[in-house]
Amino acid sequence: MQKITIKKGHDINISGLASREFSNSPAQKFVSISPQDFNYIKPKLLVKEGDQVSLGDALFFDKINPDVKWPSIASGTISKIVFGERRAVLDIIIEVDKDNEANIESINQINLSSRDDVKGFITKNNFWPFFTQRPFNKVVDPNDNPKCIVVTLADSSPLANDLSFSLAENKDYIISALSNLKKLTDGNLYVAVRGDNFSFLSDYNFINLIQVEGPHPSGNVGVILNRVNPLNQNEVVWTVQGSHLPILGKLFSKGLLDFSMNINIGGPAVKPSYFKSRIGARFDLHKDSLLMENVRIISGNVLTGKQIDIDGFLGFYHSSFSVIEESFSRPFIGWLHPGGKSKYSVFNAYLGSNKKSYDFTTLQNGSNRAFVPVDAWEKVFPMDIYINALARSIEANDIDEMEQLGIYECDEEDVALCSFVCPSKSDVGAIIRRGLDTIYFDK
Amino acid sequence: MNFLRKIFEETGKFVEKGKPLSWAYPVWEAADTIFFSTNKQTSKGPHIRDNMDIKRTMFFVVIALIPCYLFGAYNIGYLNALALDIDRSLLANTFFGFGYVLPILIATFVAGAVCELTFAIIRKHEVNEGFLVSCALIPLTMPPDVPLWQVFIGTSFGIIIGKEIFGGVGTNVFNPALTARAFMYFAFPTKISGDKVWAVGPDGYSGATALAIPANPVEYDTASNLFAASTQFDFSLMNMFWGLIPGSIGETNKLLILGGAFFLIYCGIASWRIIVSSVIGLVFTAFIFNLLSGFSTNAMLTITPLQHLLIGSFLFGTVFMATEPVTSSHTNTGRWIYGFLIGVLTVIIRSINPAYPEGVMLAILIMNMFAPLIDYYVVQSNIKMRLARNA
Repeated sequence: MQKITIKKGHDINISGLASREFSNSPAQKFVSISPQDFNYIKPKLLVKEGDQVSLGDALFFDKINPDVKWPSIASGTISKIVFGERRAVLDIIIEVDKDNEANIESINQINLSSRDDVKGFITKNNFWPFFTQRPFNKVVDPNDNPKCIVVTLADSSPLANDLSFSLAENKDYIISALSNLKKLTDGNLYVAVRGDNFSFLSDYNFINLIQVEGPHPSGNVGVILNRVNPLNQNEVVWTVQGSHLPILGKLFSKGLLDFSMNINIGGPAVKPSYFKSRIGARFDLHKDSLLMENVRIISGNVLTGKQIDIDGFLGFYHSSFSVIEESFSRPFIGWLHPGGKSKYSVFNAYLGSNKKSYDFTTLQNGSNRAFVPVDAWEKVFPMDIYINALARSIEANDIDEMEQLGIYECDEEDVALCSFVCPSKSDVGAIIRRGLDTIYFDK
Repeated sequence: MNFLRKIFEETGKFVEKGKPLSWAYPVWEAADTIFFSTNKQTSKGPHIRDNMDIKRTMFFVVIALIPCYLFGAYNIGYLNALALDIDRSLLANTFFGFGYVLPILIATFVAGAVCELTFAIIRKHEVNEGFLVSCALIPLTMPPDVPLWQVFIGTSFGIIIGKEIFGGVGTNVFNPALTARAFMYFAFPTKISGDKVWAVGPDGYSGATALAIPANPVEYDTASNLFAASTQFDFSLMNMFWGLIPGSIGETNKLLILGGAFFLIYCGIASWRIIVSSVIGLVFTAFIFNLLSGFSTNAMLTITPLQHLLIGSFLFGTVFMATEPVTSSHTNTGRWIYGFLIGVLTVIIRSINPAYPEGVMLAILIMNMFAPLIDYYVVQSNIKMRLARNA
């Protein structure tokens, strides 16, 4: 087992952490899959409103890479396809037919001994969207040969789904998923865990177990890679979400199509809890647990998640909802405030702040300003990358320099804390994404 | 508060887009957000943000300077009482000093605000709080009875040439306050250098600063002996630390400067690396010069490292000017080099160049110029590391 300790970073002490127990979970009547959750794809629909689909049927494919198809995450009827500007597909909403799902037979098992077997099996069952890659954080190209595969079971983001709890009953499926993942690469299969969680994994030689310690973003794929096997130019690393391991394991070991997973809801404006749910779950089943009127519901965590409506759905790669107050308050001379419980800052700028878990709101807590490098980003960015210089090279559109400074190793989620602490309220994630876009579309 | 809120909401209607007064929006916005924190919301991730913003960052620097103002005012009164040979209370001394400090402060802020607001209106951007720090720094680097029109012109020059023409805060190359100081130093030398300007006394009263004594000795001797022989002021180490000596308004009391330094470092605003490395650079170079002093009749070479630390405005400059985040190095390795060279250059300019006994101002401006170059090489080493890994 390898141990990595991250020093630079910050665990945001936000209130509304769910305790490790499940609440009653009503059955989902609607689920959705949104092509918007996937970077750099050109979706082409294979279904229309009113069509009957069953689990695993292809819903749409990527025009750039037609082998990659998206599975139906439920059996039932396509109740609505939501289009946005220029007919971009925003949501494919499926009305779930419970009886049909219960009667689905398991797929005839095939022998998954070689890499081609596994790849073929994944293609056949439309499971490629579960595999994403670094750089660019997009769905993989099945023809690529990744230099290694990373799975993180140590999500460190605020109010994250605690996988050591929510995956507790899926030990065999996790092993099955990981052993088949290992077949996809000649390199290592890294699995990141925190503390003694998932200690059973140390019995398996094919897994390179990594014990991470330290504050967020220590559990991020990018940060772990940067420490154990840095990503170079022209290299590709694959990853799958830790929360998806049971889903993959069920398919690989028993040929079962089962998109259920355990999610958590957290945040200062909601009664936090864990629920037995499924991919693409709709939020409004849980609207009774909201603690106030004006809220922002976020699919994913508060740093990198996506804002959704009350009847919005869980993003494909997300396993938690976060809810914070939508605040419009304007405190009198707020910048002169001495401190106390109503303030939270990683700077020692307020007396007696940060002591208790804090009720964050959507307030930006300051106006946007030109960037003043007070060493704030660097304190929460643990990679050996000059993030400030990288951001400048992106602003200057200098592709060569972006590559030299290590943009391939970064993703939005790795710099989310930089935006959180930035006194100038810059959006560093957006800058990094813009840089990646520039490179992606240049090639 | 509601009443005030209402005033802002009502007046805000006049500066909306499309209204004849819309050009004044930056001015209105600045006033509005000074009284009421902005309710600007996060649009996408991160949906939550830290409570620190640039307003508070800049305000904290101003807070760190307030003790220097109070002592500076007191010191003016104290030295004046000394010159007139009269007895005055602490409070009376301070009030006397404020008679000099306040007009300078007002002239600076008027000039700074006019420049900043004008540029905000022309460029249609929000008023940046950075000018508050520049304006708070400039009076502290002035002699007590500097003519106000010179302060006004100097400040305008510093803000416009030092900052605005480069695009404002965040893109400036030189520290605006130091640019103002340097401009005045060369444009109006009679009012900002020499022996006559540092203490307020009767007409023709002259009071040399500590730096001027070994710079212009009547007869060669070591600096320590020259200080000891000086009868007009007490230039013992202790007294120079407490700051009851002539000098720029804010530079003399080293205890308060160090207090400001600790405050800014604790809050995470100033870089301790710059402060520490500049002191190392200063001590190192002073020590080398001490060793070489036997070969020369330049008394400046005999100033001990500790005396270098306490005389002149080195500490003030390194704590409040060199650490300015935009114009200093942006990498931590770069900050060590940048600070060290400021210390080295300060001693070199002080000792070897008899025309400008105060070296820290030029040392920082020179290093402002070289900071991007230092960063360039630091970043290049990171690039080389990555290329080597790639190969």
